[in-house]
Amino acid sequence: MPKWFTPAAILCGLMFVISPVLIARAPDEASMGMVYKIYYYHMPSAWMFLLAPLVCGVSSAMFLVRGRPGDDRRAWAAAELTVLFGALTLITGPLWARRAWGTWWVWDARLTSSLVGWMIAWAYLILRRYGGPGSDKLAAGVALFGAVNVPFIFISVNYWRTIHPPTTVVPKLRVDMGVPLWFCVFAFLLLFMLLMTMRLRLEETRARLDDLYVALDE
Amino acid sequence: MNATPFGRSLWLVLRKDLTVEVRSREIAYTTLFFAASCVLVFAFALVREGRAPEGGAAGILWIAIAFAGTLALGRTFERERQSETLRALLLSPMPRPAIYVGKLLGIVALLVGTELVLVPLVVFLFNARLFAHPFWLAGIVLGGTIGYAAVGTLFAAMLVRARSRDVLLPVLLYPVVVPVIIAGVQGTTALLQPNFDAVLVRFWLLLLVTFDVVFVVLALWTFEAVMSD
Amino acid sequence: MAALRAACVAALVIGGAAASSALAAQPPQPQDEFRPVGNSPAPEQIPAAPLLIGAYVVVLGGLFAYVVGLSRRLGAVRQDVERLESEIKRRGR
Repeated sequence: MPKWFTPAAILCGLMFVISPVLIARAPDEASMGMVYKIYYYHMPSAWMFLLAPLVCGVSSAMFLVRGRPGDDRRAWAAAELTVLFGALTLITGPLWARRAWGTWWVWDARLTSSLVGWMIAWAYLILRRYGGPGSDKLAAGVALFGAVNVPFIFISVNYWRTIHPPTTVVPKLRVDMGVPLWFCVFAFLLLFMLLMTMRLRLEETRARLDDLYVALDE
Repeated sequence: MNATPFGRSLWLVLRKDLTVEVRSREIAYTTLFFAASCVLVFAFALVREGRAPEGGAAGILWIAIAFAGTLALGRTFERERQSETLRALLLSPMPRPAIYVGKLLGIVALLVGTELVLVPLVVFLFNARLFAHPFWLAGIVLGGTIGYAAVGTLFAAMLVRARSRDVLLPVLLYPVVVPVIIAGVQGTTALLQPNFDAVLVRFWLLLLVTFDVVFVVLALWTFEAVMSD
Repeated sequence: MAALRAACVAALVIGGAAASSALAAQPPQPQDEFRPVGNSPAPEQIPAAPLLIGAYVVVLGGLFAYVVGLSRRLGAVRQDVERLESEIKRRGR
């Protein structure tokens, strides 16, 4: 693991420990009361859920063009993180919605396209696991379509009739609500980088293992 | 060796597929029968006291198209795999995009042929007044079919040599084309409304066209990149 | 294969049919911004605390589980690498 990993991991752990304190001290919201505080974890998860497929898509495109295994490993790691953060977003969202909207789920543009994006990431992982040889290139092709879905998820909430809050909420936040949010965003971003690094290390070690098996046979 | 011109390559690929299909009619018949069975199953399952469910026709139509499309895609590329013709095409001096577009048009033709039977069937079984606005209907159905086929042709071609390809095609294809299916269903539902709103239908049609353009362009690039080996 | 197709049917039916009704329904106006308030309002029908705490437990638990799983996978592969390396060294002699 690189040198910055351990200090960063400690920092990240501390940030996650402190975050509930900051969140508890934030004020309640006018119409939703305290349940809106799910937002402090829901939104950073959602942003990571949108970042990961973009990383996956870009890495996949680079892999298709350059053919370097490092790009492919990054794409695979990013796809796994898409599934992880997607799961967190798609669970915390409905928990919040149950109280704020009175329903667990609505089939609006943002939620539907988010679910679709999550399923594409699952499809990527299934393909890598069961597709056999050559599935790295195939999965790269699928990842491109997943990446194209991301801008759609993000802007759809501004253009379609929906009860999901639009993107204007974040810039309009008051300071005492904004500080915990950006703190959590930073914590999640740091976590994202740490998890990517670990996952990449796993793939690199697996590649080394394959090389050793080949060397052993010689 | 000079590359064969795009238009000629495209026509060669398309003509080959159409000729084989017209002679055997195997995929056309099986796809059609499967799609009709789909619709009938929904009819039996959802009809209550002789009345069809409200607003169900649009969804059922598109599900039948999606399923029939998966079958058609699988069978078409299975045929390619058996005679290794896809490999031969890729080794030939034909430009790759032409191969992709040729196969795409073949699949679209097959699906449109199926839809020519499917739409009247849905109209008949579910009392859906789909023919009230035939040009809008044609636009929506064609737009959705092209979007679906654009991604389907790419993925089916990519999976030709993969393991578990039968199961992997739906797994990969359905999440990606859900936006197209939804737009198709919404557009078709808008057509069925008693107070017809052309603005709404045009919106869904434009959305379908957007998806089609994005998917075809992306698929063209991806086909080139993935199939070069 | 059949089960997978059945699952796909279910997903598409729900997506198609429910999306249509979603368009027909009139959703309430979305909030444009979050407005903080001094005192918490009186609790409504569904208690917020279990949802709030549940959400945080899910996130932290999920992240923790993933990190642990990843460490385990990494440890297992590293063990295999060490095993093979020593095997190669042994045969090299």
